[in-house]
Amino acid sequence: MKTWTEMASIQPLVSKMLTNGFKQNRVSHAYLFYGPKGTGKRAMGSLLTKTLFCKKKTDIEPCQDCKDCHRIDSGNHPDVHWISPDGQTIKKEQILHLQKEFTYTGMESNQKVYIIDQADRMTTNASNRLLKFLEEPNKETTAILLTENSQSILQTIRSRCQMMAFKPLNTVALQNQLMDKGLTEANARLMVALTNNLSDAMELDKDEWFANARKIVVQLIEVLQSKPEESLLFIHNSWMHHFKDREQIQQGLDLLLLWFKDLIYHATGNEALIVFMYEQERMEKSALIWSRQHITNVLQSIMDAKKKIGQNVNPALVMEQLTLQIQR
Amino acid sequence: MKFIIQREPLMESVQNVIKAISSRTTIPILSGIKIEATNNGIKLTGSDSDISIESFIPIEENGIVYVEQIETGSVVLQAKYFPEIIRKLPDKTVELEVDEKLKVTIRSGSAEFSLNGQDAEEYPMLPQIHNEDSFDLPSDMLKDLIRQTAFAISTLETRPILTGVNVKAIDNNLYFVATDSHRLASRQIPFENQTLGFSSVVIPGKSLNELNKIIGDTQENVNICIMQNQIMFQTKNVYFLSRLLDGNYPETSRLIPEQSKTIVYVSTNDLLRAIDRASLLAKENKNNVVKLVTKPNNQLEVSSNSPEIGRVLEEVTAKHINGEELKISFSSKYMLDALKAIDSDQVKIEFTGAMRPFIIRPTENDQILQLILPVRTY
Repeated sequence: MKTWTEMASIQPLVSKMLTNGFKQNRVSHAYLFYGPKGTGKRAMGSLLTKTLFCKKKTDIEPCQDCKDCHRIDSGNHPDVHWISPDGQTIKKEQILHLQKEFTYTGMESNQKVYIIDQADRMTTNASNRLLKFLEEPNKETTAILLTENSQSILQTIRSRCQMMAFKPLNTVALQNQLMDKGLTEANARLMVALTNNLSDAMELDKDEWFANARKIVVQLIEVLQSKPEESLLFIHNSWMHHFKDREQIQQGLDLLLLWFKDLIYHATGNEALIVFMYEQERMEKSALIWSRQHITNVLQSIMDAKKKIGQNVNPALVMEQLTLQIQR
Repeated sequence: MKFIIQREPLMESVQNVIKAISSRTTIPILSGIKIEATNNGIKLTGSDSDISIESFIPIEENGIVYVEQIETGSVVLQAKYFPEIIRKLPDKTVELEVDEKLKVTIRSGSAEFSLNGQDAEEYPMLPQIHNEDSFDLPSDMLKDLIRQTAFAISTLETRPILTGVNVKAIDNNLYFVATDSHRLASRQIPFENQTLGFSSVVIPGKSLNELNKIIGDTQENVNICIMQNQIMFQTKNVYFLSRLLDGNYPETSRLIPEQSKTIVYVSTNDLLRAIDRASLLAKENKNNVVKLVTKPNNQLEVSSNSPEIGRVLEEVTAKHINGEELKISFSSKYMLDALKAIDSDQVKIEFTGAMRPFIIRPTENDQILQLILPVRTY
């Protein structure tokens, strides 16, 4: 539930471009919103949709309180279609369904909006289907594609959309905001490193699972340093029990990545950027065990592991391989 | 909201609206039934966004009181559980009450259910009805119109507009036309309503088939109202709404040949059964091709040949054959569909050569027209 004024403070450039589009009555038929996680792409999409549908808007600001606005928020508006990945990918059938929907007249109004979340997760077939559909827009149809990775979207789709770059948020501002909300400095730093979104960060901070996850990551480091021969045991006994699905493993790997990034900061004397600030002692120890060259290699291995998890490789095997690479 | 209602009419209404509700819907609220209590009665609504069905239960009908103690209001209830609950309630009356937190209490006899409702504000708004733009058709006539045309719609999504039936009003006639670009079915009826606010709309075939299941085979009038985005068919207490297909329907009148070289008059039933038999062996071929040859002495030869299976040959005596000799092949499925839709003992088939479409009409009138494209065989 953001207004254009609020959005202008988060994403000044994109807001300006969109509001000008409305003012000059030049709303594009397709937009591609791209930018890192938590930069307000969804909020912007929903705001844009509300402006298109709200009947009680003042200037271009939707009222946020009418039937249309409420239903756009709850996902119940019959002429607004949200598409998000069904499992790992957005499937051809989902696009087919959308196409079919668009051969009908509108349910309540003559305009329609479809929003595709994580558009980079479309299968090739789905992309090609969508392409056909983007090429020949119906009158008064607006497409909004959201993605964190604009490069993995078909070039031909990109060229048919108006690209809107969402800038990463100002991390210092967010960190201060979080500290105002009562988080400790250490926690606030960690949250800022993981997400760009204030409410997500608050939620993560309260999450018990996440607190344990952090503990396990630190424990893993400890095991790797002091008893490397037990590390595989640790992976099977603790890690795999705690990080169950792929989403969770990704998050665990993110934390691990941050730790090794901290080691680099530590080595280069860039102490102000360190995320795990209360683990100085352990870090000193790590710096003695692992060379800077090795740490850089480890960072690369963690990135590879993350990629493999995304590609459906067996998580236990990925983790085993990673720990072996870190020990070396 | 609160009311006490007879279980029987409520169950009947629920069963009507449940037909529109799909379990796989992308809009969460559409998995529910909307219940609205007004001072005139209770209205139930179900929808899958393509079609919507509303069913109205009046306070009383023919002196029988259906609903009592109405406090107005509305709520949306999960369609997965509500019908089963109503069906299995012990008593003849049902009391339904909604509190301000949208908690719905259903009481009947000694049983009491408490369900979580959803806000009716979230439910799609159905268009307002303008009675001035509407017209009436007897429901058996409407069923005939659907039966005689809707089978010819295209099932492929490549040209979405052809998955619907085109309804248009021209010169005191109302036309229903459907085509999948290989065949065409058309039916016209006289229609004395010049003030109608539409010229041509395309109704999805799927919706018409659903409608066909809901309306009864009676003389009662169905009120049809065409709005900007939707069409509504209204019987006494059930309102059936369907969205329309967006786009322009192709001009079909030019497809129908005006002259003919060979005209065959034949008994519908004889030809139908002969083709049905011939199609038995034609089924192996992908397009069920049967061959028709005119012979002297008003004989028609219907044959089909699949090299792997065998051949079938049958002679049908026509009433009359006019014009040139002819050898033509066509899909038996299309021919059977067309002949079944004709509703007349005798048909007139007009051919314009083996490579041109031919048309089938009843002998006594011009209201029904079926056009089929032949199949090229060597």
